[in-house]
Amino acid sequence: MCGLAGAARADDLSYFEKQIEPFTKKPEFVAPGPAFDAAECMKGKSIVSIPVSSANPFTANIEKAMQAAAKKVGFKFTTWENQGQSSQWVQGMNAAVNQKVDLIDLLAGTDPRVLVPQVQAAQAAKIPVIASHYNGVEQSAEVKKYADGDVPIDYAKAGALLADWAIVQTKGHMNALELIATGPLSTDSMMSGIDAELKHCSDCKTKVMNFAVPDWGTRITPAVQAALLADPTINYIIVIYDSMSQFVTPAVTITGSQDRVKVDAFNGTPFVLGLVQQGAVQMDIGENLDWIGHALIDSEMRRVCGLPLVSDPKIPFYIFTKDNAKDAGTPPQLSQGYGDAYVKGYADLWKLK
Amino acid sequence: MAQPASIEVPVKASGASRVFIKRAEQFGLIVVWLAMIAVFGYLQPATFLTWPNFSTIFGSQAVLVVVTLGLLIPLTANDFDLSIAFVMTLSSMTVAVLNVNYGIGIGWAIVAALALGLLVGLINGLLITVFRIHSLIVTLGTGTFLHGFTLWMSDSMTISGISSSLINAVIVDRLFGIPLEFYYAIGLAAIVWYLLDYTALGRRILFVGRGREVARLSGINTDRIRIACLVVSGLFGALAGVLYAGTQGAADPVSGTSYQLPAFAAAFLGSTSIVPGRFNPWGATVAVYFLVTGITGLVFLGFSSFIQEMFYGGALVVAVTLSQLVRGRQEQQF
Repeated sequence: MCGLAGAARADDLSYFEKQIEPFTKKPEFVAPGPAFDAAECMKGKSIVSIPVSSANPFTANIEKAMQAAAKKVGFKFTTWENQGQSSQWVQGMNAAVNQKVDLIDLLAGTDPRVLVPQVQAAQAAKIPVIASHYNGVEQSAEVKKYADGDVPIDYAKAGALLADWAIVQTKGHMNALELIATGPLSTDSMMSGIDAELKHCSDCKTKVMNFAVPDWGTRITPAVQAALLADPTINYIIVIYDSMSQFVTPAVTITGSQDRVKVDAFNGTPFVLGLVQQGAVQMDIGENLDWIGHALIDSEMRRVCGLPLVSDPKIPFYIFTKDNAKDAGTPPQLSQGYGDAYVKGYADLWKLK
Repeated sequence: MAQPASIEVPVKASGASRVFIKRAEQFGLIVVWLAMIAVFGYLQPATFLTWPNFSTIFGSQAVLVVVTLGLLIPLTANDFDLSIAFVMTLSSMTVAVLNVNYGIGIGWAIVAALALGLLVGLINGLLITVFRIHSLIVTLGTGTFLHGFTLWMSDSMTISGISSSLINAVIVDRLFGIPLEFYYAIGLAAIVWYLLDYTALGRRILFVGRGREVARLSGINTDRIRIACLVVSGLFGALAGVLYAGTQGAADPVSGTSYQLPAFAAAFLGSTSIVPGRFNPWGATVAVYFLVTGITGLVFLGFSSFIQEMFYGGALVVAVTLSQLVRGRQEQQF
């Protein structure tokens, strides 16, 4: 993919800097919708959430945050623990329908496309099925073919920020490897965000390398090191899921490319924030998992309570660099370093006493 | 599993032809490897035929070489070790947890990881020989158990921040431009080669693998040999885990398990070369570098990753098929 003709001059970086700037400050709480009395309208209601895998710390911690938020409001929230097998998701869907819950949440990759009969059974029982933290804001229509609704994330913006940062760091002459994993909808959304930013840079291009998740451990390092040696002008590596970066940094080291090639990534996974602290990864865009948990509960309560739905749950991104990565702790911890503006924000929004 | 015996090929050919066929089989993989290097070098002379490229190829596969070496010892004794990649993952996580989370010196963390590997190998060996359970079942069970254990001990998290002294000793420090881990792997291959080819124990392992009952009736303590092989396999799995932790400077509870199938592929591909019909360390080492050279060349030519997967699987099937054709299609009983 190459930057298109008619884009801004390579040395004019102001556009990209302007995109990045808001995300370098501690996130502020933005209410996704009007305030409502959550405790009153959620009285006697229940939600079951099926995460993509309970062995995945990302989803496991969002579940904990959702559980804690539900407890604050005072309704029943149950997590269907599983090891990522679709047969376990089916079991969870069936159990939720049998228990006549008020909403089923499919969290962060539990794929409604492989649960069609179960979703239909839930719909027949008048239980809405919501795919949360699964797709980009612009992909809602696609998800709604398979589920009743979604709680999207602005993945396209995350992808755009990765490109913006790399373009600024390479002074408008970016030749980047773009490491992706096709399958999840979020990948398409992030790639579209990257492509959109390339149109603003006349001397920027990326080479896409796709790695299936089970192959990350064995394929990323040799492929990236070969790519770095094959093209000595590569000066950046964009990693759309930051857990890939542990296999990228050895390739950079083995090829002796530390000085010419930097890495940025998305997700804010604690060990990657550790790599940011060490300088092996230059930038990581993070999401506060506790904040995500509150935002998902907020959206889903609005649906259960029959309130107007929100199209964007306003989950903020925050850019970590070597300068602020220490705020995440040593060693870095989940949900640390983002500030706590959301705690009071949601308490007020839900009119909690 | 009866290993493919390296007996003379029953084909109608003259003595000179037979020698040629034997040599072609013995060095076929190396010749194809060199030919592949020549083709990629011809197509990409400025980047492929460079020392940085070859030093990178050599320096990046030590983990897979060590796992493969660990596998082929029990394979020689006719036992499968399906737990080796899980031992490797547990070992790397042990190093990370002890060193990063508990602040224990890297040397002691490595010792603990290696001890765990030995222990797992001993448990595998005892379960297989005492209870007479097939190695496939036992190691599948222990491997899965270890995977759960590793997830528990790491809280399903990746842990970074492993001591730089291990990272330096594995991929940062170099000799002739190649990271030191390459030399560790080659050193271990030499040890396994010496063990299997030049010691009485090595011949006994082979004997046990070829005919366990015959070996037992000949007075060989087959159980002890099999236990020893699985203990060594556990140790090699743990050593691979230490190298894996040093390569990444981090440990995660999942990715190491993906080494299982490539290691088996390399072991079987290696058994078609150098000492055809036998699992052998130099053949396995050549197989690993043959495969990574192919993948590197394909990346240089700009092919997508699905072509690399096809090369990986296709090379294994083609090499073993050709080997079988040359050897008169003897039945392989794994």
